Amino acid sequence: MADAEIPEVTDFLAEQAPFAAVPRTDLERLARRMTVRYARRGTLLMSVGRGNDEVFVVRSGAVQITDDSGTLVDRGEEGTAFGTTALDGRPSRFDVEAIEDSLLLVLPSAAFHELATAHPAVGDFFSQQRASRLRHALQAMPHAQRRTAVLQTRLRDLVRREPITTTGDATVREAAQLMAREQVSSLLVVDGGRLTGIVTDRDLRTRVLAAGLDSSTPVSAMMTADPVTAGPDDIAMELILEMTSRNIHHMPVVGGTDGRTPLGMLTSTDLMRLERANPIHLVGDIAKADDLGTLVVLSQRLPRIIDQLVHEDATADGIGRIVTAVGDALEQRLIGLAERELGPSPTAYAWVVLGSQARLEQGPGSDQDNALVISDDATPADLPWFEALARFVVEGLVACGYPRCPGDVMATNPQWRRPLREWRRTFTQWIDEPVPDAILRSAIFFDLRTVHGDDTLVEELREQIRRSAPRGTRFLAHLARNAAANEPPLGFFRGFVLEREGAHKDTLDLKRGGFHAVVEVARVHALSRGLPQVSTSSRITAAAGAGGLSDETAADLHDAFEFIRYVRLLHQAKQIRAGEPPDNFVAPSELSSFEKRHLRDAFQVVRSAQQTILHSHPLGHVT
Amino acid sequence: MIFSRLGVDHRRARQARWAGQAPPGPVRDYLGSAPPGPRTDVSDLRLLALDLETTGLDPRTDRILSVGFVPVDGLRISLAGAEQLLCRADVEVGQSAAVHGITDDALAGGIELRDLLERVAAALTGRVLLAHHAAIETGFLSAACERELGVPLPITAVDTMELQSRVLRSHSGEDLPPGALRLGTARAHLGLPRYAAHEALTDALACAELYLAQVDRLSGGRPMTLKALQR
Repeated sequence: MADAEIPEVTDFLAEQAPFAAVPRTDLERLARRMTVRYARRGTLLMSVGRGNDEVFVVRSGAVQITDDSGTLVDRGEEGTAFGTTALDGRPSRFDVEAIEDSLLLVLPSAAFHELATAHPAVGDFFSQQRASRLRHALQAMPHAQRRTAVLQTRLRDLVRREPITTTGDATVREAAQLMAREQVSSLLVVDGGRLTGIVTDRDLRTRVLAAGLDSSTPVSAMMTADPVTAGPDDIAMELILEMTSRNIHHMPVVGGTDGRTPLGMLTSTDLMRLERANPIHLVGDIAKADDLGTLVVLSQRLPRIIDQLVHEDATADGIGRIVTAVGDALEQRLIGLAERELGPSPTAYAWVVLGSQARLEQGPGSDQDNALVISDDATPADLPWFEALARFVVEGLVACGYPRCPGDVMATNPQWRRPLREWRRTFTQWIDEPVPDAILRSAIFFDLRTVHGDDTLVEELREQIRRSAPRGTRFLAHLARNAAANEPPLGFFRGFVLEREGAHKDTLDLKRGGFHAVVEVARVHALSRGLPQVSTSSRITAAAGAGGLSDETAADLHDAFEFIRYVRLLHQAKQIRAGEPPDNFVAPSELSSFEKRHLRDAFQVVRSAQQTILHSHPLGHVT
Repeated sequence: MIFSRLGVDHRRARQARWAGQAPPGPVRDYLGSAPPGPRTDVSDLRLLALDLETTGLDPRTDRILSVGFVPVDGLRISLAGAEQLLCRADVEVGQSAAVHGITDDALAGGIELRDLLERVAAALTGRVLLAHHAAIETGFLSAACERELGVPLPITAVDTMELQSRVLRSHSGEDLPPGALRLGTARAHLGLPRYAAHEALTDALACAELYLAQVDRLSGGRPMTLKALQR
């Protein structure tokens, strides 16, 4: 015989927002796991610092939620739910008091976790309660507060004159004359008012004079067709990112209803005016450097650029991308210098970066993580060449200020310098026969990106990962466990948990249970759904797009990730200025009360994301 | 003190005799077990809120149509134990269908009265019965048990209607207005939500919730025994 339905409870739940999406049969089961409590007006249902094991839904009556300073946070009547933030013995951050005689439906935490796993929308609903406050904090951060900060300038405000244009059928000589008359280094080529191409000084040199083309050649034959463009509402920061990563110096700004009407041209010189230490030039200079000594000198410009960017109120995400672009350029140039010294490679290969650099999240002082994927055509006689390449690049990076990986994840380690087929076997082992220790060490290999060489080799590995990771239940469970292993440094009574001993005594580790936990959670989300994204923020967005996270939870994670990294950047910029090596350990005395409060919120988001990932990938009984 | 203990012993002896007469099964187990003692505090008291739908008010002539019950453990209602059972009856439901909404067709899908009694006895073992106007429930269950199994069913009960009159009298000391003790009115008085009446399980749950609110009023948060509830 089926269990009796309890219509008064099921009907009620079905009308409440968090449960609206849960099918009736599940609600019936849910109702049977609840108990009912009565609380007289004035009863304290939860109190700050005390943990509980239950989620409450107000059936009738009303409750009031206040924070530890007595500030009213929320007041709710019938249908209000609370308790999810203090589950499993975690300290509550709120007092919850019945302000009317209230009847409460009470759900044990285990049942709540099961519900939230089966119906992510339910779990997401509850984490929204924190969300609005954290988002509010981010908006109040300096980089958003000072909208006039130069890097936030809209491109429409940077364009200083009408675009100088020509048409595709004009001759190269006419184009050159126009450029000389207007004293510009580039022209936009238009057809019927729409942008079709771009011609630069450099093009005239390399594609016309050096190639011996006649000056009557039409512009359309030598222009760069369909160039990369920017929009008038893009901000300077984005433009710098784009030009830095592509190593280009001219960017047409287009608009209009068709999005192809030229509005003007922005050059790296325009951006130079915005700021003195410009990463675009650093990347350009690195690409031109002719020896290791020059690279070492150039790389010393990076800390100053970071300091400058922090001052300009760039976002942590933007700075991560710029630091990565500089790191990529250095690595690429070192490989170029190595190939010049060692001669051309005997067979195809890919130089791969792993971890934070692969995710475009490199920070100041990051150590190097790299590997070599060599074509299966390689013969044993070819291998010494790759060993020499690895040594050249790894040592070069050390000289440029990128410390060796303490875990020896570098191409100099023969284990990480292998033919494709061996890499395939290794990934198969990691995914299909997971060993907990190995998973801990292998996690960064699932964030991989080619910076030089034949990316089709790496694409085979990525394809293998996308295909097999979603099936690797135990692999994912172990990965989820690792993601939840480092708790955010939050303790009882909302206090921070400080490092107890060692060099970082009495500081807060922003990385382990902080932004790095977000990295790990996002990785599990991406791998479990076979998503190709590598950077943490794109993984979060993609996981939300694939239905694995609600938009709200995704927004929370984005915000928490950005906030914690931003606090770290402020700390690191301070260290750089003081001539100290940048690290992740911040003393609470360094933080403003604003930063402390919102860091707690961010850590809370991290904690709940860790719980969710743990519950959606249970390890089961077989380990 | 001694007398009351003798009284308890006497009742238990009689109950044990009946247990010997009952056929093996939940009813016999129930008769052989002890209900919670009178000095049990409400915070530990285990009850079974129960409501019967019947064809009328006379246990001798009217029949049980359905039963709904839900356990109360201390000051919490455990929805996991909620049950509603329909009884297959030979009698015509007739007029009473207008009140409780149970039609002859629905009853045809029910269980035998004996099965129903055994299910109730099993759920009630170790618990005190809780009902609104409990005499109806205890009277019907005992009479039915005597007919079906040859033994009466002695039941320790707490009556929320009685408790409500105490809640109201402690307020006014006046005569109560007519209808003040009805389940829905009593609930409204204590700020509990309005339920659709006259389905056995809903009424049992409504009664259980009412009990929690009444205990809160009457005890004022201080210890209170079963005996004090039955005063």
